[in-house]
Amino acid sequence: MASVSSTQPIRQPGLSNLLTKALRLCGLAAMCVLALIFAAPLLWLADVAFRPKSEIFSVPPKILSGPVTETMKSYSLESFRQAIDRWDVGQAFLNSAFITVSAIVLTILVCSLCAFAFAHMRFPGRDIVFVCLLATMMMPTVTMISPYYRVLRLYGLNNTYQGLIIPYSASVFLLFLLRQYFVKIPSSYIEAALMDGASMFRVWWQIILPLGKPALATLAIYQFRAVWNDFLIPMIVLRNRALHTLPIKLQFMDSQNYNVPFDAIMATSLIAVLIPVVFFFLFQKQFIEGLSGGLKG
Amino acid sequence: MSVAADTAQRRGRKIPLRLGKLQPLLFIAPFIAVLAAFHFYTYYVGVKMSFTDAQSINPGEWIGVSNYVEVLTDDPDFWAAIRHTIYFTVGGLLTQIPGALILAVILNGIAGRLRGVLRTSYYIPVLINTVVAALIFRMMFNRDTGLINWTLGRLGLPNNTNWLYDSAYSVPLMVAVAFWQWVGYHMVYLLASLQAIDPQVYEVAKLDGASPLRVLFQITIPLLRPALTFVSVTSAIGCLQVFEYPFLLFPNAGYGPGKAAMTAIPFIYRNAFSSQFRYGYAAAAGWIVFFMILAVSLLQLRVLGLSQAEDL
Repeated sequence: MASVSSTQPIRQPGLSNLLTKALRLCGLAAMCVLALIFAAPLLWLADVAFRPKSEIFSVPPKILSGPVTETMKSYSLESFRQAIDRWDVGQAFLNSAFITVSAIVLTILVCSLCAFAFAHMRFPGRDIVFVCLLATMMMPTVTMISPYYRVLRLYGLNNTYQGLIIPYSASVFLLFLLRQYFVKIPSSYIEAALMDGASMFRVWWQIILPLGKPALATLAIYQFRAVWNDFLIPMIVLRNRALHTLPIKLQFMDSQNYNVPFDAIMATSLIAVLIPVVFFFLFQKQFIEGLSGGLKG
Repeated sequence: MSVAADTAQRRGRKIPLRLGKLQPLLFIAPFIAVLAAFHFYTYYVGVKMSFTDAQSINPGEWIGVSNYVEVLTDDPDFWAAIRHTIYFTVGGLLTQIPGALILAVILNGIAGRLRGVLRTSYYIPVLINTVVAALIFRMMFNRDTGLINWTLGRLGLPNNTNWLYDSAYSVPLMVAVAFWQWVGYHMVYLLASLQAIDPQVYEVAKLDGASPLRVLFQITIPLLRPALTFVSVTSAIGCLQVFEYPFLLFPNAGYGPGKAAMTAIPFIYRNAFSSQFRYGYAAAAGWIVFFMILAVSLLQLRVLGLSQAEDL
């Protein structure tokens, strides 16, 4: 016993040790309870999306009103059918998917071309222009909604997919992210390719893009979340009902003056939420890096 | 590769060589063009518009600074909106940043799978559509049928609060929903920074017999300063620009009882698109809010340490 304690020169006094342990256990318990509270709204959504309208607002929640399997007997896909048949949510889903995918592809092209130039080419005023671009990141353009709408009308882009997709593609934040990554690609690779007679466009296509894949994945994830969930700008740009994305469709259903289709709203909400969550579980590591560690480049 | 393709390639290569110094411009052109066409041009149109009485698609007449004067001196709604924005932002910062720090520190001390599970559970709300979050929470905060009052009742607490219709709760409600949605985002960032701290620092502190609280305040927080700066600025900017919560968290798109949840961006939106389509007026209010938000961001960077923020 004595030898054991002698290998642990700093033994904390028993009471303090116990206290630390108790504290740690309390912390752990609190964390678990909090995690459950955090999950509750989504678990509730996942439950009521499959229930008839009459059970959505039952108190206590239907699923807690008896044996779980018993309460689940009223599950059906009726609310999804309502959403798709009566509210055209299928179209909204396709709109959301099309806009998100196109915005990601276009952002990759536009930002990577520009980031490549800032990372590996010399031209007069390069650094000043880059700093100026970074400074625009602090500008809250969202305050300019009425002039923005006029500008879109001027270009004839209101009520079009392009009116939404093209502006997404020039993101200064994502440009910065790519540039920080591209700088680390050794310029000897590029010089070697140029010596072999490749054009700068080929270098971009065949060296920068393949080597920049991790940064492009980060970009894609960031843009996926931003575009899929965006609400205010799409609401202004896409006034035509046939063009509605999922968030706007939800707001539209919710703004009915009477007989709000809560069942269809729940089903649509679940669809809107499930897509990013599924992607998150598939690419968890990249997601967390992409959405928060991204700045560390 | 065939000879034909080879020569074609060689011919193609002459073009970029001849372009010489202009070539980098080709690469940055698409980005700059989009930015100029949609952002800078919007600013230009916005300046002009703010000096007119433009209404919807009618360009209106030049009326000088009267929009600005009206916003600043004759519109109680504007100042109420600014007040609510400040309350919401301060409330958001005071809950999200310490909350995220505490969660990150505790999570950092938990080992193995449980950490991953907990982290995921706090992080999921970040992915949730803000519209969905606002709609779900409106239902959950319903006095009679909501999950919140039911839970409070089960715990033996007062369960008759009319959350959505009592203006005293409007901003706190938004702060609560924002906490739910964003604390995980900041937490993950802080957690990554915590894990980058050299464990030896803690070993030394432990050898010196420093209490956990002292370690937190004298080691962890100073070392996390750049990360804390970053999350504070992100959080503040997000809060200042909030739109979906005031717009959708309360019944009938009313921005809360007596517009008690009306914040800056919804104020601009309402003037531009839902009441009288006063584009000129909304543009003037937009510029005022624009510079307020810009000032807050710059001030925050200044106060919290610009040098650290730069190397992030």
